[in-house]
Formats: sequence, structure tokens, C-alpha cells
Amino acid sequence: MSPSFIWETFVTLLAGVPVTLQLTVVSVLAGIALALVLAVLRLSRSRLARLFVSTYVFAFRGSPMLVQIFLIYYGLGQFKSTLQDLHLWYLFRDPYFCVLLALSLNTAAYGCEIIRGGLQSVPAQQVEAGRACGMSGLLLFRRITMPIAVRNIVPIYGNEVILMVKGTALASTVTIMEITGIAAKLIAETYRAFEVFAAAGALYLLINFFLMRLIGLVERAMSPHSRRTQRPSEAVEAIATTH
Amino acid sequence: MTVMPAVSLCDIRKKFGHFEVLKGVSFDAREGDVISILGSSGSGKSTMLRCINMLEVPTSGTVSIHGELIETRVKSGSTAPANPRQVDRIRSEVAMVFQSFNLWSHMTILQNVIEAPVHVQRRPHKECIAEAEALLEKVGIADKRGSYPSELSGGQQQRAAIARALAQKPKVLLFDEPTSALDPELVGEVLTVMRALANEGRTMLVVTHEMGFAREVSDRILFLHKGQIEVDGRPDEIFTKGRNLQFDQFTSRVQ
Amino acid sequence: MIEYLILFGTGPDGWGDDLAVGAAITIAVAIAGFLLGAVFGSLVAWARLAGNLPLRLLGEGYTTVLRGIPDLLVIYLFYFGGSAALGAIMGLFGSQGFVALPSFAVGAAAIGVVSAAYQAEVFRASFNALSQGEMEAARAAGMHNSLMFRRIIVPQLLRHAIPGLGNVWLLVVKESALVSVTGLAELMRTTQLAAGSTRLPFDFYLAGALIYLVITIFSTLLFAQAERRSRRGFREAMR
Repeated sequence: MSPSFIWETFVTLLAGVPVTLQLTVVSVLAGIALALVLAVLRLSRSRLARLFVSTYVFAFRGSPMLVQIFLIYYGLGQFKSTLQDLHLWYLFRDPYFCVLLALSLNTAAYGCEIIRGGLQSVPAQQVEAGRACGMSGLLLFRRITMPIAVRNIVPIYGNEVILMVKGTALASTVTIMEITGIAAKLIAETYRAFEVFAAAGALYLLINFFLMRLIGLVERAMSPHSRRTQRPSEAVEAIATTH
Repeated sequence: MTVMPAVSLCDIRKKFGHFEVLKGVSFDAREGDVISILGSSGSGKSTMLRCINMLEVPTSGTVSIHGELIETRVKSGSTAPANPRQVDRIRSEVAMVFQSFNLWSHMTILQNVIEAPVHVQRRPHKECIAEAEALLEKVGIADKRGSYPSELSGGQQQRAAIARALAQKPKVLLFDEPTSALDPELVGEVLTVMRALANEGRTMLVVTHEMGFAREVSDRILFLHKGQIEVDGRPDEIFTKGRNLQFDQFTSRVQ
Repeated sequence: MIEYLILFGTGPDGWGDDLAVGAAITIAVAIAGFLLGAVFGSLVAWARLAGNLPLRLLGEGYTTVLRGIPDLLVIYLFYFGGSAALGAIMGLFGSQGFVALPSFAVGAAAIGVVSAAYQAEVFRASFNALSQGEMEAARAAGMHNSLMFRRIIVPQLLRHAIPGLGNVWLLVVKESALVSVTGLAELMRTTQLAAGSTRLPFDFYLAGALIYLVITIFSTLLFAQAERRSRRGFREAMR
């Protein structure tokens, strides 16, 4: 166990940080956008739309992310000629794109449930008070429902972002050199698994630490008063946590 | 020439599934009346109050506010308001104070009070703030204007809720058991505010368990039992024993 | 159509039986890992609840670290690190070269270590949710500790823990797919081999995904059953 080796490894691994962060940020943002669409669809009158969303959520939350990545990266290769005709092959043969797509689709499924949980956890009484003074429709949603829901959602979504950081490690299985990819290469070269693990682990924990701080800042910006440590509604957590 | 009653309920029935909560209630409230609505739990008193601003839609019967009938229609087996805009407009003129205050947790007290005037009634922002400050002063919590509901006691929250209701410049004030969720020591401060409002000549309909308030402040008392109005009269008239069996049983239990 | 029947059938060209075996191994390694995690997780939970300060900090450190590091990294650690350690030990006895650890054991151990962190949190939350009032009533009625533990505490702990454990189980099943990097012939690896061999990656990865979904459905139903049973008395009391 050599501290200097761990340090050197740590520095080497830093090269993977931009890739890890890029993958995380892009997939989370794309995921949120998609999750909003799904959440809206879920409230639609059309049974088909609602069925689509629940099937989508079930499919992506019930199967391993690795399978989802392989399905897109390797699986779609089976349709290479069709994709070439559609001039889309250049996208789908790029591992980076495939991983981004898989991660985004995956986090959108969890995000949809988080948003749903957040909306459900808005106290009905406060909504009723809004209706009682003459608010309805978009006004009611904009002034009452959404602000309260967002405050419940942010901490849980913060958790989801951290899970996404862990998810980016799977990109290493399709040749992308993010942190875990570089770590795997180092282990294969040096056989010093423990030390490389220590360095890589420390790096991930550091990233998580800063992310949690960031999310905490966002939370506090939304709730300027000193709220008692209010646990996000159990409803949101219960619905959102199967990862 | 007869003056339009402020609130007019005509043969209101309300069913929840198979259970009929209101079995045909009718009454008129004149402008300036302070009416206390009494009854044991399950008598339908809250439901009746909530029919006035359509938070519950009557299965049959009509509700009129200052002569304007609230239109309803039957849609896939249940009754719903026919004109949502009319309902929103009437709701902004009929303010409600809830048992659990229902202040909006993400807004300060001041923001709570100006919310409806600014966003529903679209009055100028500055004017609403000035009035809100005056109302908060009136109910005695001016210093809490920047606080959040979670930082106030129950009594303070309810007084804030009353200020919020008053900010709508309502024609009618509805109170749904305003003191039932309060610790006994805090009940007094809320009743004081309500007494002051009654003395100003406001039209108030109050569902309550506070017999003292009912006796001393109301112009009229309605007693509901199992979905029907059993007693409707002035306090000095109805508290004589022997008028109505259910009412006597109720008062002896409560006191 | 017939090609699919052959492809997924049990004949010599059919991958159906291999997939079934892969699924069985997936479930087996998941169960092994989950049970290891349950044992280790209870220890960590105990350390966090009842231990002195160093123990509590250690427990908290453990759960924070293992829930913040990618599972893949943990698997690499156990696989390469374990092999290296074993190789070093064997080296003492004079053997040379890379000694591969049995991938099932490695997989189960890695899964166990990670799921222990999650299970510890579930147990801790369950313990904190125990009703003080009920324990007081038990003591007032004269129950001694082990009786109270058996009749009051454990049933309540289970009732509160089952939903959380159900979530962790699903996590474990999905994590088992990562064990494929060690070469273990569980479902993911089998699917990979089939995809490569038949050059029909879409068909087989889709099939693999569907099988995982089936496992998920059954697991969810099972846990829902378990939850209903554990809440039996509770619900009646509420009526």
C-alpha cells in the first residue's frame, strides 16, 4: 500500500472527470426534459398515453442499466443498414451517444416518478385554499401546486443525480474512458486493485460531496426561511427509490 | 321592496355514494347577518357550508349569492358547476377560513394575504400590499408579515388566514370550524377577531362548536341534525328548553 | 417465426436452455449477495444505532462510501483485488501467475458488500420507526427483554423493513448483471455470448431485458405478499 502510488493514480484518474461530469450533466438534463413530458402524459385523459408511460417506467426501472446500454449500442447494430438509410448510423455507432441515450432514457423513468410523487405530496388543503379564493387551472398550478411540489422534489432529485454519477461508470464497458474506465485499465496494467480502488473511490466521493453541496444550495435558495429539517414527503421517497 | 339575500340555499341535497349527507336544507342569509351553524359531527354542517362556495357541489338544489344563481349541470352521473369562470368569480367574492388554516407554506404571511387580490382579482400590487399591512395590523400580527406559516402559532396562523380572507374584500365570509384545531388558550384570540368582524356588520356564516360565541354574537343560529335543519332562530328564542328534542340533547351534551 | 422457436428453444442450436440457466444463476448470485448483505447490513445498522462513537462513525462512513461508489468499481476490486490477494497467498506456497477467484463467490461478495450499505439504512429506519409506546406497554405488562424482542420488536421491524428490502432486492438483481464482467455465466453474460454467436444482438439483449423484467415482476409480487402478511394484525387494529 503506497500512498504515493495512490496519489499518482488519483491524478491520472482526473483525466476521466470531465467525461464523467459531461455524461452526468447531459443525461440528467435530457432526462429531466423527458421526465416532464412523461409526467404530463401520465396525467393525460388518453388511456393509451397513460399505459405507455407506465410501461416505459416499468421497463427502464425493472431492467439493469447495463442491458439498456448494450441494447442500444450493440443491439441496434443489428439494424445497421436501416439506420444507414436513415442517415442515423453515425450516431448509433458512437458509444458516447449510445451511453448518453441510455442514461437519459433511464433517468427519465425515475424522474417521471419523482415528479409524480412530488405533485401528489402537495397538501390538498393548500390547493383547496387556492380554489376557495377563486384560483383554478394554470394559475392554481403555477402559484400553488408547482412551487410546493418543486421544493419536495429537489432533494430527491439530488439523490438521483448522485445515482447518475454512479451510472456513468457503466460507460467503461463500451470503451469510454471515464473514471472507471481509466481505473479498470490501471488495475489490468498494475494489478494493484486496492490502491486504484482507493483512489477512484475517493474521487467519486469527492464529486458526490460537491454535488450534494450544490444541491443543498439550490434547496436553501428555494426555502429562504430556516425550515425545521423537514424530511421530503414520504410519498415522494417511496415512489422514487427503486434504482 | 325585498332586498336580495346575501346567500340563498334552496332544497340542497348532497349524496356521497349511497350516503345522503344533506337531505334538503334551505335558508336565506341577509346581508349583515352573523349566522352560527351548530350540529354534532356527521350532521352535514361543514358540507352545507362548503356547498356555498362549491367546494362541494350539491347533488340537487340551488345556491345563489346576492341573487346570482350558481349554474350546475349533471355530467356522467354527477353534478358539476356548469360555468367554471362563474364559480371562480364567486369564490373570489366569498372568502373562506378553514379549520386547519391552510396557509400556503411556501409564502410569507404577507405574500399569503396579497396572493388572491394580486393574482385572482388583479388589483394593483402596491395597493394590495398597503391593504394587507393594514389587515395584519387589524388582526394583531403585523410583526409577522415576513414570517412563514410554520413559524407561527396556531392562533396566529388562523388570524393570518382571516386577514387573507378579508383581503379579498368579500361580500360573504365563511368560517369552517375556525377554532376546532386550536389549543384552548389560543381560541380566545381568534374569537376576538371574529367578534370585531361581526360588529362591523359583515355577513358571516360560521360552523362552530363555540356555544358562547354562537349565543352572544350571532343574529341567528341554525342547528343541523342528520342532514336537516332542525332549528333556525334567534339565540334568545332557541335556547329555551323543550323547543326541539335533538337540540336539547345536543346542548346538554356540549355543555 | 420458426427460426425464433429454434433460436430460443432447448435444442443444440437453441439458446433457450442457456438463458434459463443464466437466469437461475442470476437469481442464485442475487440471493447469495442479498443474504450476505442482510447479515453484514444488520451489523452495520447495529453499529450505527447502539455502538459507541467510533463504531457509529465507522458505520456511517461505510454506508456513505459504498452508496457513493459505482458498483462496477467494487466488483473490479473484489475480482482483481481478490485474485491478487489470493495470488500473493498462493505465491507463498510457491505457485506462480494469476489465480482467478471463483466468480460466483466474488460476485456474491461484491453484491453483499454494496447491498449491506443499503440494507443497513433500511434496518436503521425501521428501528427508528418502532413505536416507543408499544415497547413501553410490553415492559409495563412484565415482558422481559428477549420475549419483547421476539413478540413485539421483530414483527414490527419486519413490517417496516419489507418495502425497503424489496427495493434493495431489485437493486441487487440489477447489480447482478454487472457481475458478468467477472465472466460468471449469469443471464447478462449468457445473453452477451448468444448475441455475439448468433449476430442477433438486438433479439438477445431484448430477450435478456424481458427476462429481467419477469424476475422483477415476480419479485414485486412476492414482496407485496410478504408485506400484506406482515401487516395483517396491524390493519385489523386500525379498523
